[in-house]
Amino acid sequence: MSETEDVNDPGDVREEETVESDEFEPVQVFGDSESMDLRPGSDDCYKCSTCDTNCPVAEVDDEFPGPKFQGPEQWRLKRKDDREVDDSITSCSNCMRCDSACPSDVPLSQMHNTARGEFVSEQMEKLSREYVRNRILANYGTLARLGSKVPRLTNFVMGNSLVQTLNEKLLGITSEREFPEFAEETFREWWEKRGGTAASKERAQEARAQRGGAKIERDEKRVAYFHGCYSNYNTPAVGKATVRVFERFGYEVLVPPQQCSGTPMFANGMLEDARRSAETNVRELAAAIEDGADVIASCTSCSMALRQEYPELFDFEGTASVAARTYEAAEYLRLHEDLDGALADAEVDLDPVGTEVEGEEDGDAEFAYHAPCHARNQGIAGQAVELLDHLDGASAEDVGPSCSGISGTYGWKAEKYDASMEIGAEMIEHMEEADAETGLTECPTCAMQMEHGTGYDVRHPMEVLEDALVDGESA
Amino acid sequence: MTDTEVVVVGGGSTGCGVARDLAMRGVDVTLVEQGNLTHGTTGRMHGLLHSGGRYAVSDQSSAQECIAENRVLRDIADHCVEMTGGQFVQLEGDPDEYFEEKLAGCRECGIPVEVLSGQQAREEEPYLTKSVKRAIRVPDGAVDPFRLCVANAASAEEHGARIETHAEVVAVLKNGTQVTGVEVRHDSGPGKREHRRAGERETITADHVVNAAGAWAGQLGEMAGADVAVRPSKGAMVVTNCRQVDTVINRCRPKGDADIVVPHEATAILGTTDVEVDDPEDYPEEQWEVDLLIDELSKLVPILGEARTVRSFWGVRPLYEPPGAATEDPTDITRDYFLLDHADRDDLAGLTTIVGGKFTTYRLMAESVADHVCGKLGVSADCKTADVPLPGSEDFSVLREYMDEFGLRSPVGRRSVQRLGSRADEVLTTDGPNPVLCDCEAVTRAEVRDAIEGSGTDLNAVRIRTRASMGNCQGGFCCHRMAAELHPEYDESQSREALDELFQERWKGQRHALWGEQLSQAALNYALHATTMNRDRDPAEGDGTLDFGRFDSGAPNRPEETEARDGD
Repeated sequence: MSETEDVNDPGDVREEETVESDEFEPVQVFGDSESMDLRPGSDDCYKCSTCDTNCPVAEVDDEFPGPKFQGPEQWRLKRKDDREVDDSITSCSNCMRCDSACPSDVPLSQMHNTARGEFVSEQMEKLSREYVRNRILANYGTLARLGSKVPRLTNFVMGNSLVQTLNEKLLGITSEREFPEFAEETFREWWEKRGGTAASKERAQEARAQRGGAKIERDEKRVAYFHGCYSNYNTPAVGKATVRVFERFGYEVLVPPQQCSGTPMFANGMLEDARRSAETNVRELAAAIEDGADVIASCTSCSMALRQEYPELFDFEGTASVAARTYEAAEYLRLHEDLDGALADAEVDLDPVGTEVEGEEDGDAEFAYHAPCHARNQGIAGQAVELLDHLDGASAEDVGPSCSGISGTYGWKAEKYDASMEIGAEMIEHMEEADAETGLTECPTCAMQMEHGTGYDVRHPMEVLEDALVDGESA
Repeated sequence: MTDTEVVVVGGGSTGCGVARDLAMRGVDVTLVEQGNLTHGTTGRMHGLLHSGGRYAVSDQSSAQECIAENRVLRDIADHCVEMTGGQFVQLEGDPDEYFEEKLAGCRECGIPVEVLSGQQAREEEPYLTKSVKRAIRVPDGAVDPFRLCVANAASAEEHGARIETHAEVVAVLKNGTQVTGVEVRHDSGPGKREHRRAGERETITADHVVNAAGAWAGQLGEMAGADVAVRPSKGAMVVTNCRQVDTVINRCRPKGDADIVVPHEATAILGTTDVEVDDPEDYPEEQWEVDLLIDELSKLVPILGEARTVRSFWGVRPLYEPPGAATEDPTDITRDYFLLDHADRDDLAGLTTIVGGKFTTYRLMAESVADHVCGKLGVSADCKTADVPLPGSEDFSVLREYMDEFGLRSPVGRRSVQRLGSRADEVLTTDGPNPVLCDCEAVTRAEVRDAIEGSGTDLNAVRIRTRASMGNCQGGFCCHRMAAELHPEYDESQSREALDELFQERWKGQRHALWGEQLSQAALNYALHATTMNRDRDPAEGDGTLDFGRFDSGAPNRPEETEARDGD
């Protein structure tokens, strides 16, 4: 994988892991990722069951046999011609907690993703309601592109209770949840209007000039922003905040063409859809890396997909390089800039919901922070709380280590809705007990669940950083 | 009047095969075995169903027997056989002439072959080394020797035979120059093994005794006063945690150690070495043998160098040489089988010994013994063992559809049916809940209970029937679940002893694989068993009783008791 040789960050440990060992590299027999042989991965399992005890689905669903069975046990029992995968694989929500729970590095989520892909392509009836529904949910990005062309109409239609009932009856999409509203202007529309990369370059240079004394490590500081579907179509404010914060630190932001990260596709076993998206993303992001950029994402599931799932499932040219150079946005700034110091010098005057909580000392804006499972997997579960500790005027309380329960598309399925809420009950209860009336999280679907469970507004840490660090922009 | 017409000594593949064959011809048979079935060499082999390819150059008559029996077993023992196919792989640098000789030899013996390019060989087996030059595809297969042996014994029983395991022959009875039976010592009973039940001695008189004791045939011969020069030769095998290959991989070069990998159930078995030993029960199990297997076979399948090994085991080949051959190198001793008629040979009537040979041709060997014995007894029935399927291999085609009906998850149902064959319905249809007891090998309670019905408290016998405790945790998570199934038919102390015995056996093989992941596994098993079952108690202090009351009332603080203890 020659492209990794160009990468100029020798300190990045992930590079080593993502470049495959050539020593016993099997011949590519099948060409598709569903046919990978992951039996040797079962060698690492010594059956301790830590994965099962950390699985949020197994906790509430007695019919679900848990990740140890789904992964190493099921793989180990396979013979070459055994095709059948147990249908319980469709109950895994792909939160990937088992990956970080495992003390022995069993590639659990890779096993689940490939087994699920195999199940969907070989065993699932392609005309079944479940398949159609899952295909629709998995391809949310495509639908969103259409829907956001006429955002007001879409919002009106999707918010209609009759439509919601039909969705549940016809498709098995729960009517309990409110569909997320589409923004009237997408992030990319805003970006183009604002002048694209050229404008970003200018702003970055201005920022650098303004803070001449501040440390500047490289002349050309450049990041490629993977905004994902949700901040493009639904919460462009998150995308804008990310761009502005990076420009404030002197980064020129690129916004390469991109498709869905694939997260909902992996979770629904639609590996061919995911492959198509991933191919575009890897090509575009690898090109940006060639131009000297690192990749940042504001959605933790998007960064998870680029970092871990792509190299586990695909081998396009550039996959390893993209995985090695991708970061969550705030994580990147903490690594390369003095973000803590900048926040310590700043203060915010937020009044997010216009209410003062009694007993508050200094009128700090309080957030109930939930760490998404995929943030946990990337080792950044404590990051948002730590950052806000430095900032005057805002603070965040961690509402605990549980899964929110929605896991992307999982909680949208009518038959999974109850389990989803049961998993999320702990988070919701802790949010209600926290001294806060506003939620905070990096993951858009966790945000949906938080809002659904408490009625709170939910914000993204990048928005708070923007408030603290960026002077107003008239655009 | 004798107790039985024929006593067969030895419950390996040959002995069970002889018992089945004779019973099917209407002969009254009693089989005695010192351990459980497959205790000897049968339970300690690599599970290769030979196509004959391995003998196609050096020993063509054996090769021809192998391919013929290979076809028979696929038919009568479908549920014990997995037709994986096999490859003889030539690496860069291996001699071309031998490859050609092998190819020609196979063709001469009627073994169907196909030459594969290096690329084709690797497409079939992706983990083969890149330096594969070409390969010969042969109809090798994998066979479960435990299941096959047990099925033969079950069939013999169905035809009226008596099978006594844990019954060691302590004397061969003679009347002048006529062998008249054996005296055995039952470990418990007679009948099914039952821990803590007193055993007794039993005299079994017979018209004819068949010595099918394998590596122990010399010792039995000695009891009868006949010299049977078995030359036991040990071979080491290493079991990996999972399959790296799905076909049998042989190295295509003249005979040598460490040249075969056989996919076996959920694992792969690496074989083997060949060193002559004095005593089939007491020989060194040496680390160099294990290292050699992994090092050499990694050249063929490089991932084996990194693979987790769960255990190693040694088997003893019961090689035999006619008097006067005096071959020096054990690898040169013939693999052919010999039927010794002691009446002709030693002027000792009523005793026949079968030695040598190989697992794949067990049925043929049994047939020739049965023919011979029937000749002596004046029985004229024909052999039927090549045509009548074994229990479990009848009507096998309908089984695919069964899986959903047992309410088991796909891989559990699939593996259960692969093991039980046509018995699946009978065994797996239960009224009560049927949880998985052994997660690694996907063995359910129903299957374990069925095995207990057949073998009493002997959990090692349950193990070989079901594969429970043979997966990556090596019994750490399931031995006690298996033992719990003995209750309430058997009591607590019996179950505990049975558990200890099984766990001990599992530990024995793991000792040779204690590095990497299996060391972690052993450490976890130890911790779990020590903390939850108090199994790290000092055996010297255990008197078999436990004062459970003390768990509630706390430690004794009566001074006299403390003193008394200190004084011990």
